[in-house]
Amino acid sequence: MPRRNKSNKKKRPIAVSVIAVAIVVLFLLRLYQVYEPLIRQNVFRQGVTGALFTGWSLTALGRDLLSSVIYLLLSLAGVFVLVGFLRLRTWSWVLLMAWTGLSLVISLVDYFYSQPNYAVMASNVIIAFALNIPDVQRVFGIRRDGDGSSL
Amino acid sequence: MVPASDRPTAPAGTPDLELLRKFEPVVYYTKGEQVYPAAVEHYVEDSTLWKHHPDGHDELLVKHGQMTMEKLIEPHPAAFGSVRYLRFIEALNLTEAARVLADQAALRRQIGEYFRPGIGRLARGGFLPRLVDGLFSLSFLLRGHLPAADMAAAELDYNAIREEHPEYIYYGRVTRQAGWTVLQYWFFYYSNPWRSGFHGVNDHESDWEMVTLYLYEDAGQLVPEWAAYASHDFKGDDLRRRWDDRSDLMIENGHPVVHAGAGSHSSYFRRGEYQAEVNLPLPGWLAGILQSWSKFWTETLGQPPVQAFHVPFVDYARGDGLRIGPDGPQAWSPVLVDESTPWVSQFRGLWGLFARDPISGENAPAGPMYNRDGSPRGSWYDPLGFAGLDKVPPPPQALPMLEQDCRDIVRRQAELERLTPQKAAVLQSLGIQAKGMEGNPHLAKQHAALEKEIGTLSNEVRGLRRESSENTALLQGLTRWLERMQAGLVDDPRAHIHNPAVPDDPTQALRFDRAAETWAAVSLSLLLFVVAGLIFFAPHYLWAGLAVILTLFITVDSILRGAFVQTIGRLTLILAMLASLILFIHFWKWIILAALLVMGISLMVQRLRELAG
Repeated sequence: MPRRNKSNKKKRPIAVSVIAVAIVVLFLLRLYQVYEPLIRQNVFRQGVTGALFTGWSLTALGRDLLSSVIYLLLSLAGVFVLVGFLRLRTWSWVLLMAWTGLSLVISLVDYFYSQPNYAVMASNVIIAFALNIPDVQRVFGIRRDGDGSSL
Repeated sequence: MVPASDRPTAPAGTPDLELLRKFEPVVYYTKGEQVYPAAVEHYVEDSTLWKHHPDGHDELLVKHGQMTMEKLIEPHPAAFGSVRYLRFIEALNLTEAARVLADQAALRRQIGEYFRPGIGRLARGGFLPRLVDGLFSLSFLLRGHLPAADMAAAELDYNAIREEHPEYIYYGRVTRQAGWTVLQYWFFYYSNPWRSGFHGVNDHESDWEMVTLYLYEDAGQLVPEWAAYASHDFKGDDLRRRWDDRSDLMIENGHPVVHAGAGSHSSYFRRGEYQAEVNLPLPGWLAGILQSWSKFWTETLGQPPVQAFHVPFVDYARGDGLRIGPDGPQAWSPVLVDESTPWVSQFRGLWGLFARDPISGENAPAGPMYNRDGSPRGSWYDPLGFAGLDKVPPPPQALPMLEQDCRDIVRRQAELERLTPQKAAVLQSLGIQAKGMEGNPHLAKQHAALEKEIGTLSNEVRGLRRESSENTALLQGLTRWLERMQAGLVDDPRAHIHNPAVPDDPTQALRFDRAAETWAAVSLSLLLFVVAGLIFFAPHYLWAGLAVILTLFITVDSILRGAFVQTIGRLTLILAMLASLILFIHFWKWIILAALLVMGISLMVQRLRELAG
């Protein structure tokens, strides 16, 4: 049997692929959150017909448009992080971890005070655990071999 | 490396006092230090003697002005649980305390030496240890402790006595054990103002510190080989450094250098600022839970350990203050002591106030020969074991000892080589006999006895072969070591050290800027204000608000301390665990169903693959 090729090339652990899938799932969820208010307000059929502000506060249409824009930006940010993540960039690990932490805080506050989104919560849990796997941290340069400590 | 030939030596018959002087240490203090080693007599004469009874009341045995060294050692019958102690500072009322603190400030101005903490200890630890530190400070409300004014009064009284008796004293002891000549230098301080003077862990009246040197005899000369400095919770091997270990042990003209911690007087080899950690005394059940959590955190989750219940304190051993020692303006006045010195052996009490602190941090220490409970002190009766040297022979004895060990093993191997084949042959003979008995029911009894004998002999032969195999490996190692010793090669002088005391890296200290220090100082109070605000203005959102605020505070703290990546990882992991728990509570049926399905499919795939060959 021929010998298996072994290389010293930086390899992508399975967990990285799992995280990438979770990011894609989150991206799709966010995309739904972009379109759902716009569909509800018939923006695609009629365009923006009503007023966005009444005095200093937003109208229902304004709020929906704002939430769509925010979720669109978040989705684009997700794509940006995904690219960095698949290229094993350290900054993408830090950004994703910070983002996941923030998202978990929001999910938990939502859970205790309003309607939680369990799908988002579960995706974040998977990402958080996967990002903390020592092999994943090593491949992103977060954990150094030998000392076993985080930067 | 310093070869033994370059070390200072003293003839083997040198009188003890002369020997002590020959190798006496040079001690460097930190600028702002308030008390220095002094004579016990003046302290005792200025103290009162008390007895604490098991029922809680304290009895005055000798009044102020009447105390003498003779009265210190007078026998007093005492019940179990009673404590005899000296008291240097009598209780102060509010006016006296205020006056003493004002006088202390005036004295400092007069001396003109101030302690500047620099980067505060709080900025060096994380937010959680700071939170625990707050609890530690509050614990003084429940524990017995010394007021700062008492320490100020001790400093004033010490300085007044010092004007009349300016000499710096050490109490030297020479003892000989297992080929080693042991020189002990005991230093007595009037007080230990670590907490009140230098933001440390504790204050107490009086303080005993000790430095030990270990010498061996070679060609009629005593040669120093090891130095051990008593230092906080370090013990055994970690306490000692070899004379040629220049990475730690500094030598000035043949005298070892000690850097004393400010207020604590703990001894360090290198100058610097040391992180001393204090573990909060937790109840057993809580400690057990935390231990399990720590195991889960490090082993299951693969995370670096978090020591949230360790309060970081800094022991400042900067060595930029007074220098006491030979070849300088401030020299030592040695006093020789041993078991026949009455105050050493006959006073088992405390050398200062018994503050009734259950964890003893604020109670004064006992003398050189005893522990606080009156039991013998290990460093006195077993100075070799104290520094982990009981297993180390003096260098001139090491080579012959090793050669003898090798010879013994070779002799035993020869014996085993003779014994093993003999026993093996007997075993084979018994085996063949047992085989011959098979099929003869009338020999059943003899066969059973033979089987038993075979079993015993088989174990014996196996044991001999194991011993021979182990001896071969041992002999290889010892021979290699012997060859190195015969060639004069020296082993690593630091190989025995497991947990060395390492000062903080001064370059790393630059990372803490003014913002980090300010934040460290105010963050805990700020958190309490925010919590109060939440309770008052938004009680409905108290828990969520608390979680968000804590997360925010910890994040800000980590950014300032340059530990953002590590902290954000830990924080997110904890949040993820909480979220997992919530998900499990709501979807446990689905989660179990999914797990069973996955296990079932996996098993089926394995079995089908096996079936398919």
